[in-house]
Amino acid sequence: MTDEAAVKKPRGLAHSTTVGWAVRVLTVLSSVSLVLLLVATFAGVVMRYVFGTPILGSNEIIQLVSVALVMLAMPVAAQHEDHIRVDVMDGVIGAWGRFVGDLLARAIAAFLLYRLALRAWAKLKDAAEFGDATNMLAIPLWPFYGLIVLGSVLYAVVLVLQFVDVLRTGANRNE
Amino acid sequence: MSDFAIGLCGIGAMFVLMILRMPVGMAMLAVGYFGTVILNGTRSANALLLTETFSSASNYSLTVIPLFVLMGNIASAAGFSSRLYEAAFAWVGWLRGGLASASIVGCAAFSAVSGSSVATAVTIGRVALPEMKRFGYSDALSTGAVAAGGTLGFLIPPSTGFVIYAILTEESIGQLFMAGILPGLLLTAFFMGAIAFVTLRNPGAGPRGEFVPFEERFKALLRAMPLLLVIVVSIGGIYLGIFTPVEAAGVGAGMVALMAGISGNMNREQAVKAVSDTVRTTAMLYLIIIGASVLNPFLALTELPATLGETMTAAGFGPYGLLFLIVLAYLALGMFMDGLAMLVVTIPIFFPIVTAAGFDPIWFGVIAVIVIEMGMITPPVGLNVFVVKSVAEDVSMGTIFRGVLPFWFAMAACLLVIVVFPQIALLIPQAMFR
Amino acid sequence: RDLKLADFQPPSHFVVEDVYKPFAEAIETATGGEITVSIFMGGELGPGPAEQYNRAVDGVADIAFGLPGYTASIFPKTLLTELPGVISPETGTERIIANIDMLSDEYRRVVLLGLWNNAPNLLFTAEKPVRTMEDLKGLKIRVPSRNAGVVVEAWGGTPVSMPASEIYNAMQTGVLDGALIDATALTAFRLAEVTKYVTTGMDTTISEFFLLMNRDSFRDLSDEQQKIVLDAGREAAIRGGKAWVSKADSILADFASDEGKEHIQLSADEVAKFNEASAAAVERIVEEAEANGIEARAYVEALRND
Ligand code: NA
Ligand code: NA
Repeated sequence: MTDEAAVKKPRGLAHSTTVGWAVRVLTVLSSVSLVLLLVATFAGVVMRYVFGTPILGSNEIIQLVSVALVMLAMPVAAQHEDHIRVDVMDGVIGAWGRFVGDLLARAIAAFLLYRLALRAWAKLKDAAEFGDATNMLAIPLWPFYGLIVLGSVLYAVVLVLQFVDVLRTGANRNE
Repeated sequence: MSDFAIGLCGIGAMFVLMILRMPVGMAMLAVGYFGTVILNGTRSANALLLTETFSSASNYSLTVIPLFVLMGNIASAAGFSSRLYEAAFAWVGWLRGGLASASIVGCAAFSAVSGSSVATAVTIGRVALPEMKRFGYSDALSTGAVAAGGTLGFLIPPSTGFVIYAILTEESIGQLFMAGILPGLLLTAFFMGAIAFVTLRNPGAGPRGEFVPFEERFKALLRAMPLLLVIVVSIGGIYLGIFTPVEAAGVGAGMVALMAGISGNMNREQAVKAVSDTVRTTAMLYLIIIGASVLNPFLALTELPATLGETMTAAGFGPYGLLFLIVLAYLALGMFMDGLAMLVVTIPIFFPIVTAAGFDPIWFGVIAVIVIEMGMITPPVGLNVFVVKSVAEDVSMGTIFRGVLPFWFAMAACLLVIVVFPQIALLIPQAMFR
Repeated sequence: RDLKLADFQPPSHFVVEDVYKPFAEAIETATGGEITVSIFMGGELGPGPAEQYNRAVDGVADIAFGLPGYTASIFPKTLLTELPGVISPETGTERIIANIDMLSDEYRRVVLLGLWNNAPNLLFTAEKPVRTMEDLKGLKIRVPSRNAGVVVEAWGGTPVSMPASEIYNAMQTGVLDGALIDATALTAFRLAEVTKYVTTGMDTTISEFFLLMNRDSFRDLSDEQQKIVLDAGREAAIRGGKAWVSKADSILADFASDEGKEHIQLSADEVAKFNEASAAAVERIVEEAEANGIEARAYVEALRND
């Protein structure tokens, strides 16, 4: 991995105290969602076989918990640069190519996440106003659009800070 | 500029972004988004971004991914999977490349629970890759075996690939599943042949272990029982109709967690790490899924696949010439497209051409699935290679793609055999349904 | 201007020939080619039924085909049409169109082009024949909606919810004993392979389909063009209603003629038992809706009365 050193010894703005703290909170909430997902699937089986009463709409709980799990884990994956890249051409494009690429990739991605967050925010207000909810259990949907806003905003913040980090270190990074 | 030209530019732009080190999921998302802005306006593109993010993140069937990843992580942290591999090594480790072959068999076994090649590669990769490293296997062979072995998840039933094919063509899911069994076993054997070939040329890639006496082998097997039990319960549970696949994943992960907790094999720190690693891997995989589902509507709008199909029919080749062209087209598309998206976009075009040429529709389903599997390990966008990369962070993408090469040829050979002997695919479904 | 129509069903689905092509032609002809309609099947513009309503609201597509049941919280009044005995499969679409104004408050975020009913949901069972209401006791039946769940429970079954695409596997493995779904699912979801018995005769739930248009896409049209699109939509609903019902009849007949498959027609006594149970359930649902401030009784009465 290109940023192996950074993974072992996190430094730079993207790992600064405030952002690091925010990312950690979301990661913990995502982890809690994973445990809930596990418990919900397990409970579904137990209710059906031990008590003979399937939970009508248990798939809705699973689906919404999955939204929390996925969206809240996005910032930490970005912070640790877990997201998969094609690195076969890294040598070919040279130090400057990597520098420009790392800046461009983050700028575009941050813009896309900004658009996503904006749209999700509008949808949140809309869903709250019209009372959008799931079919069986009538769980309101607006908080889950909120999770998309939260995850994508913090993801974008991490990218912007990484952008500044890359800019500061310059093209002559030791890779 | 025509829509077709915009489509080609979009794919070119995607390659450039990927070369410039943009994460692949984000590159697909970017091209899908900006392409839709051009073809269908900003409102539609913004809406697409949100609906596809929400529907991917809330997809019920995909929740097998985090659950099976968690199961693998806990099994690794608690040492259950290394025991399974010690047992495998005790039995087949004295063979050259034995542990790589054991990984292939593991993938085949896991494929019988999982319809997804991603889940298969992740689960077996988590367990097998650290072990193969420990036993001194070359990175290329071990990662290549897992990336290729993972594709069995698509061929051996249950398979999301066959379900989508069946829905698009109105063929029978049951027949398609049955048609996948023998080719799946054949491909497993071919993969093991590829391992034999690699280790024959380069014995250092998969070193022989020492011969283990039979008493020791059974002891190793006994120590591996916990994880074997989990696999038997979750696979058996699906076949006996006790669980759906998502439930089996939940029960499997729950059992492993309970066993790790009770046996005290895992401390608090390891448990926290297993969970946080799982959520990070989940985020990484879902970004690719979301990216692909934003890219796909853009490609549909450009009518790129449809134009390709029309050109091919117009060329006027014989049936096998057509089939050859279709396979080539799949290999080309498979370089950059997600497998399921590729099926949805191409089957409506290719299926009528193929059946009109007199080929069996069930058999073609098997062919299509194998070619799509090949696409999953073909650079630059090889979903399974990316997944393996996420598990083996210190191995470069180039090494994995190199390691996958012998397996790619094994798949090509398997494909050829099934083209020459269609009975391999059709034997079981014909015996059962006709 | 080109209107993009999104549907998640396979490209080979009869809706293309029977509904969309006439719909597109009507609009093109009436607007003198100023407006065209492109059809994207197979979820090309985004997979699956669950997000179709949002695709129309947010404008992923200009026009989207969907089922109100997938976003039930938004359509409590529309979904009263699915309750047993409220509409009949043959005349349902006409009755819905005749009373369409009563639904306007549920379609404020989109433009409703067409709303039509599916063929009735039938009781599919994998291994256990249902010839009496007793036979249904405790069977795990997949239901398409909350209302259908209440009905199945009233019949003595145990309702289970899961995505339609999962029914095949679940019935094959025995996670489900059966499903309440329309006859076209025998071929569309290949359920004929895992179903031995189909029970009919009682009043049962009837699902609806709709064609929705994005508000802004609609506003972009001239008044005259808007009227043309609305008319074409109403025509599409009538064609859709006919297409589904007749298709369902022929599919069910094919199923019954296959070896080892049985179409069970309930005796008059059993039908009465089923209908008595569901009538009580319907009454409860209507009362509940009234308590939530929905004019449910007036709408149900309007649909029932000619
Ligand atoms: Na499989
Ligand atoms: Na590829």
